[in-house]
Amino acid sequence: MGSGLSYALAIAKKDLVTQMRKRFEAFSMFLFAIIAVFVLGLVLSSATFIVPDPETRLIVMTEIGAGMLWVVVFFTGMFGFSPVFISESETGTLKGLSLAPIPAWSVYLGKVIYGFILMGLVELFLVPISMGLLGFTFAADVSPIFILATFCLGTLDLAAVGAMASALTMPAESKATVYPIVYFPTATTALILLVEITRMLAIGIPLVGPGIVDLLIILSGHVFAMVTLSATVFHFTLTS
Amino acid sequence: MISIQVEGLTRRYGYRVALNDISFDVPVGGVHALFGNNGAGKTTLMRIISTLLQPHAGKVAVLGFDTKEDPIEVRKRIGVVGDKPLLYGELTGRENLNFYSDLYDLESYTASASIEDLAEQFDVKRWLDEPTKILSTGLRKRFDIIRSLLHSPDLFLLDEPFSGLDKDSTQVFRDYIEEKRQDRTAIVTTHNLSLGSEICDDFITLRKGEIVGQGPISEFDGNI
Repeated sequence: MGSGLSYALAIAKKDLVTQMRKRFEAFSMFLFAIIAVFVLGLVLSSATFIVPDPETRLIVMTEIGAGMLWVVVFFTGMFGFSPVFISESETGTLKGLSLAPIPAWSVYLGKVIYGFILMGLVELFLVPISMGLLGFTFAADVSPIFILATFCLGTLDLAAVGAMASALTMPAESKATVYPIVYFPTATTALILLVEITRMLAIGIPLVGPGIVDLLIILSGHVFAMVTLSATVFHFTLTS
Repeated sequence: MISIQVEGLTRRYGYRVALNDISFDVPVGGVHALFGNNGAGKTTLMRIISTLLQPHAGKVAVLGFDTKEDPIEVRKRIGVVGDKPLLYGELTGRENLNFYSDLYDLESYTASASIEDLAEQFDVKRWLDEPTKILSTGLRKRFDIIRSLLHSPDLFLLDEPFSGLDKDSTQVFRDYIEEKRQDRTAIVTTHNLSLGSEICDDFITLRKGEIVGQGPISEFDGNI
């Protein structure tokens, strides 16, 4: 008897293999991310020229760059992630998953794992490029564990929200319009937290107010709430 | 022993009643036809039996398991073939079948042997390692039939199973159903009344969500 997690891993593996074979789709995701960072980098460097002091300019670029990075990750995720359930629904293969004797939450979890890996791969390239083009670096006194935790939790959160948004969009006639309407409000909390944490990682931790650990705990709570809530109600999207 | 038990089943889509308080039993073994024109309620009934749709009233039990209460137990025991193959075009036939074997908890050795055996039987062995998107409709249908048989289901739910199949494939599938008809049950919906009459033991005719005919296939007058 397999566990729900083993079914989820089988679904994630199948999705990754399928995605890698659709070379054009994976490539276009990377291309979109790179172009977006490049354009934002150009705009940011010319716009910050109005700041005369080079040190202040660097701080402004770092503050804006940290936010821009997550904007690009969000849109890249939206671009690459929206089809996870919609395409299965359109090709009819979702029926195969619905007919399999597995708990509905493992289908959801499989899509979240797939989204996490896919977006993680994009971020592996995107973060160093963004650091170069958006002109920000992580503060020297920040532990790499915080950086890793932020990107892992952030990616997991966006994947969890994105998968549920894609599932909820399936019955809609104009899916392309409905998907961002569902995805954006649910991802906003995570985005605000991620921008704030990344800003702290870049310019250093402030002496007053909540620290990185506090914000990471709130982010973990959001991830937990999103994953468990979505997994609990997910069966409603497979049967009607 | 009863394979499918339907009691007072009602299903609506908005105000339209797709199935109106229907009841019937299907015994274990044999091939049973479900006849009806478009919109009669055949697909709705098949979707409810296969746990994809919830009834609004009444209950359906498959081999003793309620489709609403124990959907996973029901799914373990059914094999469904519909009009659209449930295959991933980017994956090869073998990868598709291995993926579904994982979802059905089949041991990898058993699954491999079963895939080879069924591929031989349905004559698709030389296409096992080709992406299914490049295969013809008939070949994809054959792979889809294999997918539905991998876990040796006790109940086959076949919605227009012969559409898209050539003469040879139809014969192979018919032979398979024939071989298993003693201890397995098959429900077949088809518009091909003569084919349905040839392979089925009895029939149920649906019209506007109600049963208007039922009995041994010898009593079927061709009126749907």
